[in-house]
Order: sequence, then structure tokens, then C-alpha cells
Amino acid sequence: MRHEILDAPNFGLLALTLQAGEKVVAESGAMVAMGPAVSVETKMRGGLLAAAKRKLLGGESLFQNTFTARESEQLLYLAPPVEGDLRVKELARGEVFFLQSGNYLAHVGEELVLDTQWGGVRSFFGGIGFFMLKVVGPGTLFYGSYGAIHEVPVSAGGYTCDTGHIVGFSDGLEYRVRPFAGFKGLFFSGEGLVCDFEGRGTLYVQTRKAPALAGFLHPFRRVQQRGN
Amino acid sequence: MKFEIQYRPAHSLAIAHLEAGESVRAEASAMVSMTRNLAITTDGPMGGRGGLLGSFKRAVLGGETFFTNTFTAQGTAGHVTLAPTLSGDMQAIELRPGEPLYIQGSSYVAAPDSVELDTRWQGLKGFFSGETLFFLEASGQGPVLVNAFGALETLELDGDVIVDTGHLVAFGAGIEYEVTKASRGWIASYLSGEGLVLRMRGRGRVYLQSRNPKEYGHAVGSQLPPRQG
Repeated sequence: MRHEILDAPNFGLLALTLQAGEKVVAESGAMVAMGPAVSVETKMRGGLLAAAKRKLLGGESLFQNTFTARESEQLLYLAPPVEGDLRVKELARGEVFFLQSGNYLAHVGEELVLDTQWGGVRSFFGGIGFFMLKVVGPGTLFYGSYGAIHEVPVSAGGYTCDTGHIVGFSDGLEYRVRPFAGFKGLFFSGEGLVCDFEGRGTLYVQTRKAPALAGFLHPFRRVQQRGN
Repeated sequence: MKFEIQYRPAHSLAIAHLEAGESVRAEASAMVSMTRNLAITTDGPMGGRGGLLGSFKRAVLGGETFFTNTFTAQGTAGHVTLAPTLSGDMQAIELRPGEPLYIQGSSYVAAPDSVELDTRWQGLKGFFSGETLFFLEASGQGPVLVNAFGALETLELDGDVIVDTGHLVAFGAGIEYEVTKASRGWIASYLSGEGLVLRMRGRGRVYLQSRNPKEYGHAVGSQLPPRQG
């Protein structure tokens, strides 16, 4: 299988060329175009219960599609939902990478493990947080970002990142989620949750976040008058 | 304090580099990431700069978020990265003493504490469009980080220009302005979709953004399912 990333960093598009029998698993809705001899099979990732939990708590899609080439030299174009960059990560056997679940685009490798973990804090108001995918090699992972991807080498001093701006991070980093500037800060500082990183590794930060855009658009929604 | 801007122009990210003891004051929701040695103070209604009235004035009149966060590097150098909500460019505009800059409330991102922020209420509101217009006055010395929705264009004004309020980012001292209608009559102005415009006159720089946040909000937000009133 060959892969090429086109139109990055503003509108990243993944162009794959599949040989007969080769498979790619992708987030539902990611397919842009494909060759005539590609079969699609839809599955719930991790079974019904795990998928339903993710859907309810994380807003992540319930389904994933497996694309299989029946003949050689089949094209498959995949795209993330928001505008931004697209990256590939080759993982060796046992190598671990943490990816924010909304940034997942696709993967190749029957042995690649995608384990959903909840990262967040429980508060008086219930849980607030996000889902991380713990990805364990061997295999190839493709992921997207909203905006550009800014790489931060984390070392002794540690680092802090808004949870909505996290794309992913390498193994070797410990993370702990907390409200920015205390729980009061959740409401008053304008920032939500942040993640403190300790250890040594690379953090990938996206320069825009979808919840902020949603928050911007919300006041522009039409107002439905309640019936009398 | 130094601003470095990367990933221009579409998805710009500003890195505010702080030496030990230096601070930067950022619009409340702009923080993306930071080193761990920063102390944060939130300037809000319970205290902070200008107290209750100051932050109220900023929030209600300035269109700025109610709160700003001040990041101070403690012990060693550090940095905080900042980004606006929408896609687009950012620029650090250098202020000189005695030459204030007027910034559209939502275009302000951050400035060091050598820059003072004050609000200026600009009177007229559009009868039909409901538009209001507020500026922050930045004065003092140092860089002021502003953001644009889309690209940032600089007009070197020497004379007159008419600017749509939704496309205005900032303008320098030495420019007079008045709020006016785009067309001759109020009804024609409303129908033209241009709403309120500014007639600006003088010598100096006018910073424009190539997209209008409000137009974007209407174009996209009105497509969403209605919210409860």
C-alpha cells in the first residue's frame, strides 16, 4: 500500500493506493472517493457497548468502515471533517501513541490496537473531559487536526495544554487533567480544562478547536419560540 | 516579551516568549498551551485591573471577553501560545508612546503590561441592523497582538476611506472617524446589507480583515437547528 498526503497543511487529503486484498480502517464519513474494486464493510469499533459509550460520552462516531481492495492499484481518498493538517504515524511493535479520539482518521495494520480511554475530571456537575485513543503498534495511523499542528518537545519542566487543542502525544508523557485556574476558572477565566504533561516526549497541539467555533456560532442560531 | 507568529495566515498561532518576571495579558479564551512556570491571574469583576467597573466596561462596551488572563513567567523564561477562535492571521502591531491604537473589541488578543487598555464607547448604533461599535484604546509602548478573521490587510491612509465595521480590525491615532450609513437613506442602507460603515479621515494605518465574523455567523449559524428562546 502506498500513501501520499496532499493539500496539507490547510486542507490535508490522504491518497492511498491499495493492492488486492489490502485493508484500511477509517472513521465513518471520511471517504472522499475510491476505485471501483474497493469493498466497504461497516462495523462498530470495539463492539456495541464500547461504541455506544463513546458515542454518548465523547460524541465520537459509532461506526468505522473497513475498505478492502479486490483488485490491485485501487485508489482511496480520505479526508478529516475540519480544515487543517493531516499526519501519518508509523508505529513499531509495542510502540504507543496517544491520540485525541476526534482526530483519528484511519489506520492500517490488523495488529494495531486502538483502546479508548477517558481523560477528564469528575466534578459536582458530572464528568467533563474527553476521550484519548491509546494506539499500540505495529501499524500505521493517520490523523488530522483543526488548524495547524504545532509540535512541542516536552522535557523536565513539564507543559500545559488546553484539552481542546491536544491532537496527541508520544509515549513517555504522563498526563493529568484539571480545570484551568481551579474549578472557578472553568466559568470565569474563559478557559476550560487543561492537561498537565510530565516526562519526556512530544506533544502535538492543534491551533484551532471545534468547541470554540461551535460556541461562536451558537448565538447566530435562529430562536425557536415556545408554543403557548 | 516577544510575539512570534507561526502557521500564517490561515491557522496562525502566536507564541508569547516571556523572560523571567515578564508578563502578557491575553483575551480570556485565547490560551492554547504554556510552559509550567507561569503564574496566572484572571482579571475579573472581583478584582484585577480597573476593578468591577473596569472589567464591566471592557466586557459590555469593548466586546472583549469579560475576563483577561495575565501570564507571568516565574523564576525562568517561559512561553504561552495563543490563538483566536476563527481561522485567520495575526499580527503584532508595535505601539510608540503617544500614538495609541484603536482596536475593534473582538480583534484584541494580547499585549505585555507596558501597554494600557482602555475602552472607548462609540455612540451610534444601527436602528435596523442592531449593530454596535466599540473600540479598545491601547496606549503605551510595546507590541499589541491582534487577530483577523481571514487575511489581514493594511491600508496606508492619507485622505478618506469608507470601511465596513465588520471588516475593521484596528486603526492608528491621527485618524478621525464618524459612523454613517452605507447608502443615502436608512432603508437603502439596511437593504444594501452593508449596515453601518465608518467614514475615516486622516493619515495613518487602517487594519482590515478580509472576512466579517458576523456575516459568517449568519451564513453558517442560521443553518443550524433553532435554539430554544
